[in-house]
Amino acid sequence: MTKLVQIFSSRRTWAWPYVAFMAMFVVLPLILVGVYAFTDIDGHFTLHNFAKFFTHNEAIQTFLYSLMIAVFNTAICLLIGYPAAYIMAQEDFKTPKVMAMLFILPMWINFLLRTVATVELFNMCGLPLGEGALLFGLCYDYLPFMIYPIYNTLQKMDNSLVEAAQDLGANRWTCFWKVIVPLSMPGVYSGIVMVFMPTVSTFAIAELLTHNNIKLFGSLIQDYITTTDLLNYGAVLSLVLLIIIGLTSFFGDHDDKGEGGLV
Amino acid sequence: MKIKVIGYRLWVIGLIFLSPLTANHSPLFAQSNVTYALRVGTTGENTLLADFPDSYAGEKVNVSVSIEKDNLDFIFTNHQSPIINHQSFDSIYVYTDESAVTWTVWRSKKEVKNRGQRVMTQNAYKTFEEYVRAHTTAAKRSTGWIWFVFAGMLLVAGIVSVISYVAKRRREKNLSAVEQETLRRKRMGLRRHYGSQLYLWLLLIVLYAPIALIAVFSFTKSKILGNWTGFSMDLYVNLFTGKADAGLNSAIWYTVVIALIAAVCSTILGTLAAIGIYNMRAKARKAVSLLNSVPMINPDIITGISLFLLFVALGMSQGLATVCIAHVVFCTPYVVLSVLPRLSRMNPNTYEAALDLGATPAQALRMVMIPELWPGMLSGFILALTLSVDDFGVTFFTKGSGGLETLSTFIYSDARKGGLTPELRPLFTIILLVMLAVLIYINFRKDKKDN
Repeated sequence: MTKLVQIFSSRRTWAWPYVAFMAMFVVLPLILVGVYAFTDIDGHFTLHNFAKFFTHNEAIQTFLYSLMIAVFNTAICLLIGYPAAYIMAQEDFKTPKVMAMLFILPMWINFLLRTVATVELFNMCGLPLGEGALLFGLCYDYLPFMIYPIYNTLQKMDNSLVEAAQDLGANRWTCFWKVIVPLSMPGVYSGIVMVFMPTVSTFAIAELLTHNNIKLFGSLIQDYITTTDLLNYGAVLSLVLLIIIGLTSFFGDHDDKGEGGLV
Repeated sequence: MKIKVIGYRLWVIGLIFLSPLTANHSPLFAQSNVTYALRVGTTGENTLLADFPDSYAGEKVNVSVSIEKDNLDFIFTNHQSPIINHQSFDSIYVYTDESAVTWTVWRSKKEVKNRGQRVMTQNAYKTFEEYVRAHTTAAKRSTGWIWFVFAGMLLVAGIVSVISYVAKRRREKNLSAVEQETLRRKRMGLRRHYGSQLYLWLLLIVLYAPIALIAVFSFTKSKILGNWTGFSMDLYVNLFTGKADAGLNSAIWYTVVIALIAAVCSTILGTLAAIGIYNMRAKARKAVSLLNSVPMINPDIITGISLFLLFVALGMSQGLATVCIAHVVFCTPYVVLSVLPRLSRMNPNTYEAALDLGATPAQALRMVMIPELWPGMLSGFILALTLSVDDFGVTFFTKGSGGLETLSTFIYSDARKGGLTPELRPLFTIILLVMLAVLIYINFRKDKKDN
């Protein structure tokens, strides 16, 4: 008993339950995705699932299409979000806090409900559901994720650098492209990651926004993984997605602070 | 300048509030938007009638309507639908006795004009003609006042700008050239300023339009979102007296229960973990922090699927327990992150001092650590609550097939069926207002502290 007390009086050990929990419910499941991908229904090792993926036209096409949609969406969010963040970070802008709050508030409403509302809005205005609606809905859902990190880096930026550039004769555009944009790149990187990752893995909302006409990779995975016989193939698809996510998060490693600001 | 600013704000506010109301009945949309009225016969032969505006006379139109009943789709098409000249309507009406209808209308073979799903209202109208008559007059009524308000606003804005322009010219007539130049510069800066403000407000309008739609239509009892049937608080009353759909009620309860369990568990686990991590050596600390960030980086679908595979592999039956475990998994890292900063602000020796003075570790934790860490734990708890309530992806994969639904999954299956349970609208209007209040409170408190 005294030994036990001794062990637990060292505060280092207090993290042990958490580490054990995470090993069980985070690390082990991720390993299991790999295990399932390399086995067949009876649990024997096989590469058949991978072979199936590379010859499965629908899966490949859906995958490429989802990547394309994600890239488009990220680009649109960047194009719309950067100016917004830039305006909010200006010195003479009087209510940046209120504005930032207004941009974050929609994120606290269930994204499915927002999506359904978007669908209703499109129906009401007589606009057809389809690719346009999909891009609108995705952009609408993830725009705040782009604005916030960029706003954070721009706001923390040392304004004397801009003033120095102006004193040395740079005009507004040169100053913007040569000073402000390079300095805000960490925010842009983390914004790109935070928009790209959820978009590429999105499921459920694509069906709602396109009236079941367009299927994204996430929905495909969902279809396979919930079918008992095809679970192993679903694991392969998840593994592909996991690789994409891993690559993207390496891309976002340039930055170590931007993300923390969101929560 | 001040008067002008007020004028422009009036415009923005007016647009925000009126855009969802007018879209249905505005003459602008009525011109560009082709309108249909469909009727699906209620007798044995299941006839379909399509009425089109005059401009469609002579054109071949394909119409297909499918009715969802007992999970079976009946699809019937009418290939040579005759063009019937009829009064034009300004909305799409599907008139049927069935509860849900999926409709598709092609103008020509390629061009899909309209497509969607609707949950139907009870038949309030005995005949099709009566239905049409009621709706056309209602539309006329509602357009009247809205456009009157718009015209009024336009008039006011116009008058204000004319007056301010004249006043400006008068003021500046006697100024020197240099003074006029500085004024021009100043005005250009202001114009840029207002241009950027306008950009932000436009973005916000687009961002809030769907939300405003939900909020506005929570005050009417129509089952269809977008069909205004007069002001009513019935949906709020239904929501609070439990008269709403039974599935919705149980979904609300499950959401609350799961969120509370997950938030309490993850706050305890996360606080202990944060204390542990803080006292670890640099290397171990880095490793655990990395582990901590994995669930935060992983998208919902990956977390959901990997846990789903784990539960399948372990042979666990999925239900409330698995959903709670899954929620603790993705909530705890955020608790850890909100407690850690408090720890670094704390005097590291107080805990040791308590032990030296004879406290047990549990006592020291309860009486020394927790009072210091309390704000961090609270914000972690609130964050965990909101994350849990908001989650869809993870819940979807871990809820099993036992009929357990949280709000998110309920909305999803509801939307897939075509339509939204009306009581969701007041529920989310309330959530929106609460969130707004919380965010304002937090920001206000921060401002106070800064000062």
